[in-house]
Amino acid sequence: MRELLVLVAIGAGTYVMRTAFLVLARPEPPAPLARVLLHVGPAVLGAIVVPALLAPHGAVTVAGTVPALVAAAGAWVLWRRTRNLPIALFGALALALLTTAVFR
Amino acid sequence: MSTCRSEPATAEAGTSPARRALTDCAAVIVAYLPFGLTLGATLAATKLPAWVAWASSPLLFNGAAQLVAVTLLDGGAGAVVVVLGALVVSARMLLYAASLAPYAAEWPRRWRWIGGYVLTDPVYALAIGRFGRPDRGGGSRERLVYYLTVGVTLCTAWQLMTGAGVLLGGLLPEWLHVELAAPLTFLLLLLPMLTGRAAYAAAAAAGAAAVSAMTLPLGLGLVVGATAGIAAGVAVDAWRARTSRPKGVRDA
Repeated sequence: MRELLVLVAIGAGTYVMRTAFLVLARPEPPAPLARVLLHVGPAVLGAIVVPALLAPHGAVTVAGTVPALVAAAGAWVLWRRTRNLPIALFGALALALLTTAVFR
Repeated sequence: MSTCRSEPATAEAGTSPARRALTDCAAVIVAYLPFGLTLGATLAATKLPAWVAWASSPLLFNGAAQLVAVTLLDGGAGAVVVVLGALVVSARMLLYAASLAPYAAEWPRRWRWIGGYVLTDPVYALAIGRFGRPDRGGGSRERLVYYLTVGVTLCTAWQLMTGAGVLLGGLLPEWLHVELAAPLTFLLLLLPMLTGRAAYAAAAAAGAAAVSAMTLPLGLGLVVGATAGIAAGVAVDAWRARTSRPKGVRDA
């Protein structure tokens, strides 16, 4: 029961963080803020993607990093060619599998 | 680069925003399946009652925070530590909401209250990828329909995936490289956003900083990385504005 209450508290806290700016939103944010917000998307995704692909299990290893980087390069090429997310994603995962098989 | 951005818009002409949202969600759901199942299995493996651990899915709808909260609870950490830890992990939600706010400002207020609940990483990535285009993802109503469809679909899928993971346990073999599915999806959502030097700089600086801060606890590396990336993007914009003003050229 205590655990559930803790989870409810976290849920309430995250809800406030998610909602506050949305509810207070204005169509034209102040110019300095707008300049900053423009870069949130690429920055956050870069911060998620790079460590996860460079160190898939939390550490840089040949067995983990090489397939991940091959897959990332493959995803890039496939996406440029097809502009199709599922094709690029599954092509890239297949490349990761192949790379692992070759390395064995 | 900039010529690529208008291609999808014309190809999608006539597709309703809800339909477009469902199509976009399909690949994300498949990519999230391994993480959802694994997280469910991890939740079920704790000392917490399985349903309480799973309740973190509807309550938090945020895999990283769920993992931190349930792991800390399992280890017997105090309530304050658990709450603060999970909230730090979720701090990026503030950025997401602030970044989406200009596109949501004309939505009816009640939908903004509801929309906040479903805001999480893939929902943000899909939404900003669409709203950040030159046409802003259509009118305000189209954006609302797109956002809510993505949010409700991914939220529902997340409950089902983590629930299935709780019931089925860890079934996925390691050689499948399932751990790469989610970061590759985010990479593919990032690529269309790289429309100029500032965007490249933001992503690269964020990645480099996040890697160097990788050992920080509670996912703080992400916050450090994102902050560095935003700073780099702002700096490149400012530098370009100074150097290229005579020609009036500026990145989107």
